[in-house]
Amino acid sequence: MRRGALTWRLLAIPGVAWLAAFFLVAFYAIVSVGFGNVTTLYQPVPHWNPLDWNVGYVWVAVKAVLPGGQTWDAFLRTVIYVVVAVALSLAIGFPVAWYTARHAGRWRGVLLVALVLPFWISYLMRMFAWTNLLATDGYATKALHALSIDSLLSSVGLLDGRDWLGGQHVAVVMALVYGYVPYLILPLFVALDRIDDRVIEAARDLGASPAGAFWRVVVPLARTGTLAGIVLIALPMFGDYYTPDLISGSPNTSMLGNAINGYVQGGPDKALGAALTLVASAFLLVLMFSYLRVLRADQREAQRA
Amino acid sequence: MSDESAEDRRRISRRSLLAGAAGAAAAVGVGGALVGCENTTQPVAVSSGGGGRGILGDPTAGGPVDASGIPLSRRDYPVTMPRVGDHVPSRRPPERGGELRIYNYADYLNPAVIKAFGKQEGVTVTVTTFQTLDEAFSKLSAGRLRTDVIFTTPDQLSRLVGRHLVQPLNYELLPNLQRNVWPELHNPFYDVGPRYTVPYVTYTTGIGWRNDKLGFDPSKLDQPWDAFWRATPYRGRVAILDDSREGPGLALMRRGVTDLNTEDPALLRRALEDLRDLDARVRVKVSISDYETLPTGRTWLHESWSGDLISAVLGYLPSGTPADVLSYWFDPAGAPIFNDCICVAADAEKPVLAHRFLNHLLDTRVAYANFAGFVGYQPPLNAIDADVLLRRGIVPPTLRQAIVTREAYANGNAYLTLSATGQQLWDRTWAAFRNG
Repeated sequence: MRRGALTWRLLAIPGVAWLAAFFLVAFYAIVSVGFGNVTTLYQPVPHWNPLDWNVGYVWVAVKAVLPGGQTWDAFLRTVIYVVVAVALSLAIGFPVAWYTARHAGRWRGVLLVALVLPFWISYLMRMFAWTNLLATDGYATKALHALSIDSLLSSVGLLDGRDWLGGQHVAVVMALVYGYVPYLILPLFVALDRIDDRVIEAARDLGASPAGAFWRVVVPLARTGTLAGIVLIALPMFGDYYTPDLISGSPNTSMLGNAINGYVQGGPDKALGAALTLVASAFLLVLMFSYLRVLRADQREAQRA
Repeated sequence: MSDESAEDRRRISRRSLLAGAAGAAAAVGVGGALVGCENTTQPVAVSSGGGGRGILGDPTAGGPVDASGIPLSRRDYPVTMPRVGDHVPSRRPPERGGELRIYNYADYLNPAVIKAFGKQEGVTVTVTTFQTLDEAFSKLSAGRLRTDVIFTTPDQLSRLVGRHLVQPLNYELLPNLQRNVWPELHNPFYDVGPRYTVPYVTYTTGIGWRNDKLGFDPSKLDQPWDAFWRATPYRGRVAILDDSREGPGLALMRRGVTDLNTEDPALLRRALEDLRDLDARVRVKVSISDYETLPTGRTWLHESWSGDLISAVLGYLPSGTPADVLSYWFDPAGAPIFNDCICVAADAEKPVLAHRFLNHLLDTRVAYANFAGFVGYQPPLNAIDADVLLRRGIVPPTLRQAIVTREAYANGNAYLTLSATGQQLWDRTWAAFRNG
């Protein structure tokens, strides 16, 4: 073994140990509860040994997220919220990242600080701020009214009444976008910043229109970063429960995370809550794998080039 | 928990049987009930619950039992809890120094009261908080949390006793119970003797509303609980309590069901349908923040606990909002009216000091400071005339019904312990509604 490799291996040990202790062990605990049993007092009994696993709860959880199951509505709602919120985040985030990376000039530093600023304030605090901003006399409510956005959304049936905090799907999606968009912009910025100007110039020199150069050069080159950003925000959105809790608090906007939280917090179905977590993780794993495949393909292509 | 020998368990069992026979109520010896975690049910795929005669199959259990095998106490069916272990001797001096640990809901004790006790006894008092009683039970029964004092509710008592998580109290160390507390609670039906508890505060479940915002007066309706279903103009401003008993219970009371401890699946199925109908009408919120959302106007109509309305007045009114915009209605004929209670943990390190803390909270002046100074929930003490709050103008007349009276308490309804299958039925009804 080369000396350098050994040094890096040793340096990686603490990090790997940390991850193993605080992620893998914790995750295995959830697996053991999901494949475990409950006492007559409905306290979960983890089955640590895979040979003892009881598939009863996982089976119930799988049925729960299928059409007609007890959490099907929440599951479907979660998928729709996440897809819409990610699309909106991209629509908002891409131009911001593009501008900051390529056209900001001397404002670049200021803009970057502004993009990092939200990370200084906890997600929860930013959501709490929304509960005031979207109150009947809140600034955001007034602004949305002045811009007629509320009546626009009402007329297409997306807003029921004028009460943003009264269990509205739109408000929850807006809050998700607001909460997670900074996490998308940063990786996008890095990806776009790395694109060599000369590649775009070459495309233009070879006769591509500005739009053509963008679609056929910039977008493919930024694909890895974009996907990384999407994965970074879609995964936590999928498990979110406090955003709908704070912004709505109504069963109308319950997400899968709310259902899991409800089962785990109390009542007889804690094992089902753990099993639902596993089903959700399996679903996300599929997304994760397709991301990794794209990443591998891109890397191979880059090596060939 | 499993370090008691089988011999011990039999002995305790027999003794508690004898004690029960001597007492007025049905006592059942389930001394060493749940040992370890070995009593597992079937996986839910082939669900069978755990009701019936209880896991010990104790033949003396006449009526229905909870999951610990202890009979379900009712006002007309008082239950003596089996005695597990001995109480502390009367002459043992209180422990000194170190810390006294308390396990409670957040914001459910006046910090000034805690501080004064710590100073008086020369200890540090630390409070660890839980969100739900179920979470508290989980952590305690997994042995993950050590504490001296446990705040809980009477419906939790049988499983706390069944799991040996609380110790019998020595009432000679708790003279304030007899001296100060309402006589109705000297020997409560949920803990005949008493053996394990002293009462903490009382409350009712009713309707809280903003009389300046709501265009009608719920209390004037023939069926006030129907106010929620009629509040269609106030979509998004209507909330019910986020609680697996209070939520379905509201729908039951609106239908005139008086047995709030029913285990009839048909009634709960209809309650679920009614709640979904309510949601379709008013896009209802579920929350236990009524003490904050009502005074700030984020909700206008809220299924509420009485103490939350008083707490709202004590600490949550925004400047410019007068207290009398808040109203509260309570139905003395049938709505829930009950009390919380306090226990000493089985493995308390400072059991004598824990007794002194319980006794401290039942001192009239301390209890009043805790109530009117912070918590808003009223202690059931003879000398605390809650009307004084009205006379002093601390509580506006619109909240007169948020004050709990002895008469109403004596005749009141309550959410009590259910059988395991019954509890599961209520919990799943609520989960089905909450999942939307």
